[in-house]
Amino acid sequence: MGLVDFFKKIEPDKKKSPVLHTFYDAVYTFALAPDSITGPKGTQIKDGMDLKRLMVHVVIAMQLCYLFGTYNIGHQHFTAAGQYLGFIEGFHLKLAHGLILMLPIFIVTHVVGLGIEIIFAAKKGHAVEEGFLVSGALIPLIMPPDIPLWILAVAVAFAVILGKEAFGGTGMNIWNIALLARVFVFFAYPTTIAGDEVWVSGFDGLAEGTAATYGWAHNLFNTLFGWLGLDGYNAASTAVVDGYTGATPLALAYQGGWEGATAVYTPSQMWWGTIPGSIGESSKPLILIGALFLLVTKIASWRIMLSMLIGGIVGALTLNAWGATPFMEVPWYYQFFMGSFFFAMAFMATDPVTAASTNTGKWWYGFLIGFIGMIIRVLNPAYPEGWMLAILFMNTFAPLIDHYVLQSNISKRLKRA
Amino acid sequence: MGELINIFIKSAFIENLALSYFLGMCSYLAVSKTVKTAFGLGLAVIFVLAITMPINWAINTYLLGEGGLFGTDLTFLRLILFIAVIASMVQLVEMVVEKYSPSLYNSLGIFLPLITVNCAILGGSLFMVSKEYGFAESVSFGLGGGFGWFLAIIAIAAIREKIRYSDVPAPLRGLGMAFLLTGLMGLAFMSLMGIDLAAFN
Repeated sequence: MGLVDFFKKIEPDKKKSPVLHTFYDAVYTFALAPDSITGPKGTQIKDGMDLKRLMVHVVIAMQLCYLFGTYNIGHQHFTAAGQYLGFIEGFHLKLAHGLILMLPIFIVTHVVGLGIEIIFAAKKGHAVEEGFLVSGALIPLIMPPDIPLWILAVAVAFAVILGKEAFGGTGMNIWNIALLARVFVFFAYPTTIAGDEVWVSGFDGLAEGTAATYGWAHNLFNTLFGWLGLDGYNAASTAVVDGYTGATPLALAYQGGWEGATAVYTPSQMWWGTIPGSIGESSKPLILIGALFLLVTKIASWRIMLSMLIGGIVGALTLNAWGATPFMEVPWYYQFFMGSFFFAMAFMATDPVTAASTNTGKWWYGFLIGFIGMIIRVLNPAYPEGWMLAILFMNTFAPLIDHYVLQSNISKRLKRA
Repeated sequence: MGELINIFIKSAFIENLALSYFLGMCSYLAVSKTVKTAFGLGLAVIFVLAITMPINWAINTYLLGEGGLFGTDLTFLRLILFIAVIASMVQLVEMVVEKYSPSLYNSLGIFLPLITVNCAILGGSLFMVSKEYGFAESVSFGLGGGFGWFLAIIAIAAIREKIRYSDVPAPLRGLGMAFLLTGLMGLAFMSLMGIDLAAFN
């Protein structure tokens, strides 16, 4: 019996239990390429590369960030405690700590997001839409590791209902879903996401000597590690070391420029990403590998990536020329060592639904994201980083850019005729 | 000069009349169905704001203030006089639009004379008073505020043109969606809120 037969056998009745059928349909089309990709009428495309598989490529591109991000949660935890300072020292402890925090975030995001999608799809009577595949993979990467799960659930519900289902579902939204979820947390619960102490997990605060807090999951792993004869978690001996602040490089650079940031973190640490931050955005080389993958498979637009890079450089050079604060004087190339520029460029700005869709529009769109994001990062004291808000800002104007590009094309052709 | 540019940028982007003060919502929601009419109305608002602001400034300073022409505090007349100035300017705009672009005049309909009671205009004048701007500053504030409002209305118009083909749930269609869009746009515009340009000079 083949897999197809198995799936056919367990198919629930569509009329009797629509929600269950929608869920079944989602799993079925995810596992196997459906044979009815195009209908009998209209354009005939004979290709297995449908929307779902296209989106899976984006998720694949993120996997390195997932692996590194999960491990880095644990690494930052022990760095704050001054233990296992080498990157691979205490490997099992760091990985398990990361997993303990990462898995609930991932599960909550998907249960809430996919749950809402399935209910809406069943109500509307069509197959569940693929859009949450990418949003659901992006959201955990851009959250702080110790975000309270109920806040995460509310944010995901906000983004999926108001940002997407209200607009008519996948492919219709104006603003990036993942960023809407994050901006919701950012403005509704500012102390959760904007404070200094949020980025390092496992401590109640980062004051000197605060002991680590471990839950039942850590105890479970302790038993396992005990059997294997490895070190376990020990809350009594793990405490925040003296002088540790947990501030991100950008927060330091806002105060003291590049010197302020490098006083705590070395440039190679920032580049490789062994610094506190949102879960998946810290490691630049791994994100660039993902970006390269997206470019090679032609899923992301190179125009947006390139123009956003140019926009960021121009913005940084402009600020260098102004030079009124230490942060403005950070050399332009060092700006890219800090913060989440590459993550925003590779995975957020290139979202084909919310970006401008004309080629000329893409150049403007990317350039303005780069420029405005750099302005927000450096000039706005209220926000530590600018790309999330810059992308949402340009999402707002993407339809307008497209409109005027189209209008100018129309008038050009009318003149030629 | 730097100060004037600061005021322009601040009133256009950072303290946007439509998206951070939510002023002028009536025409903002009603005339934003197509980019073309929104563009026309936006230009009219820029013009009216930029003209009325300095006139109102002059009235406020030279007629109503203690040191004004009448020598007494007449600030209780401020609202009435501001509205009178705005109404007459809107009349002027209306005549010009009717003469030179009848199609725009027709598509704007009642909302063109209603600029008179567009609270973005009166609000702008009152902000100008409370912020104690001088003449040049009030011109810059008027132009910036108008430009910000103009950007907001053409952006929402482009979005509304785009989502016309979307499968929006029936109860949200039309005005409901416009409210939701305005809220989310306000969220996006919060990106620049809080920047104090004067702190860097």
